[in-house]
Amino acid sequence: MWRVWLLFDPRRALVALFTFLFILALVIHFILLSTDKFNWLGGHAAPSAAAQHMSTLPDTTKP
Amino acid sequence: MADDKRGSLSGLTETEAKEFHGIFVTSFLIFTVIAIIAHFLVWQWRPWL
Repeated sequence: MWRVWLLFDPRRALVALFTFLFILALVIHFILLSTDKFNWLGGHAAPSAAAQHMSTLPDTTKP
Repeated sequence: MADDKRGSLSGLTETEAKEFHGIFVTSFLIFTVIAIIAHFLVWQWRPWL
């Protein structure tokens, strides 16, 4: 496998690889941010059992 | 050394190519381990399947 570096210039290969990985990461992160379930910056929280008990209103059921 | 360069399109000698390959493989493995840890943590947070 090491012979691949006799064919491809490591400097160009690294620049291409890092560029590709960076753009791929950017795309994946923005796709995740655009969803409700996997947006980790708030917005609409994913429906869960714990979330149903959370309310900003005071609990009026207690005396 | 001069003979090693003959026929190399990238200009690297075989020694240089082997040395770079070692660094490249090590870096790739570190990257892969970090990615696996990140995926494990996200799966714990919210499984996607």
